[in-house]
Amino acid sequence: MSSDVRFTDFKSDKQPTWCPGCGDFGTMNGMMKALATTGNDPDNTFVVAGIGCSGKIGTYMHSYALHGVHGRALPVGMGVKLANPNLEVMVAGGDGDGYSIGAGHFIHAVRRNVDMSYIVMDNRIYGLTKGQASPTSREDFETSTSPEGPKQPPVNPLALALAAGGTFIAQSFSSDSQRHTEIVKKAIEHDGFGFVNVYSPCVTFNDVDTYDYFRDTIVDLSETDHDPTDYDDAKSAILDADKEYQGVIYQDEGSVPWDEREGLTDSMADIPDGAPEGAMDLVREFY
Amino acid sequence: MPEDLNWAIGGEAGDGIDSTGKIFAQALSRAGRHVFTSKDFASRIRGGYTAYKIRTSVDRVESVVDSLDVLIALTERTIHENTDELHEGSVIIYDGERTTMQDVEIPEGMVGLDVPLKSLAEDAGGAIMRNVVALGAACEVAEFPIENLDESLEKRFSDKGQAIVENNKKAARLGQEYVAEEFADTDFDYSLETTDNDYVLLNGDEAIGMGAIAAGCRFYAGYPITPATDVMEYLTGRLESFGGKVVQAEDELAAINLALGAARAGARSMTATSGPGIDLMTETFGLVATSETPMVICDVMRSGPSTGMPTKQEQGDLNQMLYGGHGEIPRFVVAPTTVAECFWKTVEAFNYAEKYQTPVFLVADLALAVTEQTFPPETFDMDEVEIDRGKVVDEDHIDGWQNEQGQFQPHFPAADGVSPRAFPGVEGGAHMTTGLEHDALGRRTEDTEVRVEQVDKRQRKVETAREEEEWDYREFGDPDSDNLVLSWGSNEGAMREALEFLDESGTDVRFISVPYLFPRPDLSEEIEAADEVIVVECNATGQFADVVEHDALTRVKRVNKYDGVRFKADELAEAIEEKLAAPAEAHT
Repeated sequence: MSSDVRFTDFKSDKQPTWCPGCGDFGTMNGMMKALATTGNDPDNTFVVAGIGCSGKIGTYMHSYALHGVHGRALPVGMGVKLANPNLEVMVAGGDGDGYSIGAGHFIHAVRRNVDMSYIVMDNRIYGLTKGQASPTSREDFETSTSPEGPKQPPVNPLALALAAGGTFIAQSFSSDSQRHTEIVKKAIEHDGFGFVNVYSPCVTFNDVDTYDYFRDTIVDLSETDHDPTDYDDAKSAILDADKEYQGVIYQDEGSVPWDEREGLTDSMADIPDGAPEGAMDLVREFY
Repeated sequence: MPEDLNWAIGGEAGDGIDSTGKIFAQALSRAGRHVFTSKDFASRIRGGYTAYKIRTSVDRVESVVDSLDVLIALTERTIHENTDELHEGSVIIYDGERTTMQDVEIPEGMVGLDVPLKSLAEDAGGAIMRNVVALGAACEVAEFPIENLDESLEKRFSDKGQAIVENNKKAARLGQEYVAEEFADTDFDYSLETTDNDYVLLNGDEAIGMGAIAAGCRFYAGYPITPATDVMEYLTGRLESFGGKVVQAEDELAAINLALGAARAGARSMTATSGPGIDLMTETFGLVATSETPMVICDVMRSGPSTGMPTKQEQGDLNQMLYGGHGEIPRFVVAPTTVAECFWKTVEAFNYAEKYQTPVFLVADLALAVTEQTFPPETFDMDEVEIDRGKVVDEDHIDGWQNEQGQFQPHFPAADGVSPRAFPGVEGGAHMTTGLEHDALGRRTEDTEVRVEQVDKRQRKVETAREEEEWDYREFGDPDSDNLVLSWGSNEGAMREALEFLDESGTDVRFISVPYLFPRPDLSEEIEAADEVIVVECNATGQFADVVEHDALTRVKRVNKYDGVRFKADELAEAIEEKLAAPAEAHT
């Protein structure tokens, strides 16, 4: 790890193919800045992404990276971190990737509390498949596959995370670059699973949850008397359906990450040239 | 006096059949006798018929046969289930005091030993020990020194305290004494000799788990599924003591993706499942292959399709192993044919995976996985284990694999199809991996030339492996015979014993057992040299027979079994004689 890493070192020479104005630009920049300012460099960082617009992120960043199958980025990230706890592991996904096809993994990743961060670019729509309802779409949001709206309440990812025993639950807005970067930075520094739901507007397909909408409605928790270490405070903020919050909503200061509890500290990449010492004892067990 | 014994204990699931059988099998093994066990079990926790069978001999035993000399029947149904296997003089031990066993009818010509198992167990300290009383009774019948049983009981119960161990020893002796006194006039026809030979007793799943540790596997993720769960249970705790980690995932999708992440981080990584789990893993399997990630995926086959018969034998997944997944995916398919090979082929599987940076399917069938067999411990000589990690690049050599802009090329189209690997953390090695078609840098592309180059590169690994590795087979019987029998998986054991039956009836056979299904040995010459070729397998359609026909451009005869039960040596011999006598088969 070198101290002179700049956030641009995390940039690849590939130009993003996201639509001009896409919220994902801001989300990604914040991730890169946060990685650089927390003392990481591309060679010790592993970024995992799934499918969708968010999934392209590994291509635009420079680090060790895997762009996997739809909804399965979290298990990959956990596998990386458990096998080498010295790496900084960051998983990026979208609301479809994380809360629909990958919802099961989300719950279990949260409860396992592996020391990694999970950044979800939530635009409340399926962008790459051109505008279908997502699990966070509003009940009356009209799309090509929901002409009268999905008629189902949206998933509340923060509530899911809290219920699953989340130890770091935060929300940010991609266009508020400074706050967003700060929040991602805190997620990285958190001892455990740092989850950030990022409002990352889709300028092409979502004309409801727009930059203007978020700018007008978002409430910054740092400007209120919200105490992120207070579970009840967190619960009321998360269950308040009328407000959009940004900030660290909940952080368990006593969090001990799973990898640490399991005593994992070394890379599993180094193995001897032959069977490990003491392997013959395994045979003798069968006497 | 017969030296061999076919023994079984049967009852309802939940009666402790499995652990009782295991105690006796271990006692026999510790007494220097060879053991081969098999299980009949139902897919439920309590209730439903279940049995544990042991064949034991001073010589090696490789299969089960349709014969039972001593049967411990904890329920009346046990007798009915096994009537066909009992013979004149077979001994049936049962508890006539049990309400449901009072009117038991012992088939004619067989010897019924009514032993008050429960009462004697209570005398020893608790009714729960009735199975151990029965073991003691069996020792007397078989003239097997009961001291050998003591060691097994110690092993099984020592963590419950010495008092429990002593009670169990007493229970066994009460059973033994009861038979000795009450049936003093009965002449039992068995006398099990002990030897000084050292044996270990283990099943295929355990051998796979042990092979994984020996091979330096450090990460295992899986989801419980019959009959693969034993692999995970074996590794749990043990892998950790070798610096690794076992993760029970929330589902098979997570399991294979966890293993993929660990493999990308540089760990030797594995998952094991059975057919339904393989289905779920198939999408990620494609990603593993196209991202060129080394990984061992173990499929312990059971009867399918769908949930099929979870506790029954089948070899129905071969086509899935060879062709499963969309698009064209280079993969290796290795299928051990014996319990010992489960160990060695697992070691090989890890080496192939890393040397060629491909997923390797390690395929076992249920019969192989749950069968316990005795081996001299040196069969698993850990000094013989060799590790080959393939082309791993460190900081000092990374520049040799960078392009002019200093970017690492993880998918460099090397002449042998195998590119360099840089583990995360290696300076200058940062790179992208994706399931999308990619260029040498790992970046998405739809460029037609690059697409063709990368597909060719991945396929070239198979050609390289074909040339560099020895894809051999195991051969038995008469090498000059005109009758050639081929099989894969656990059939080898039954077939080897079938050769003896065939020999007795004057039929000579050359038998080849194939442990590599892709790449696989070229058997064209052997097939051409034979007049008759028969392929034996536990499935309905003859999936391996299809492959053989394809490779050798010829028709073969097929012996298929798909009732959920493994081949038995005697029935296999009979089926082969029938096939040899039958006219050539029309292709259906």
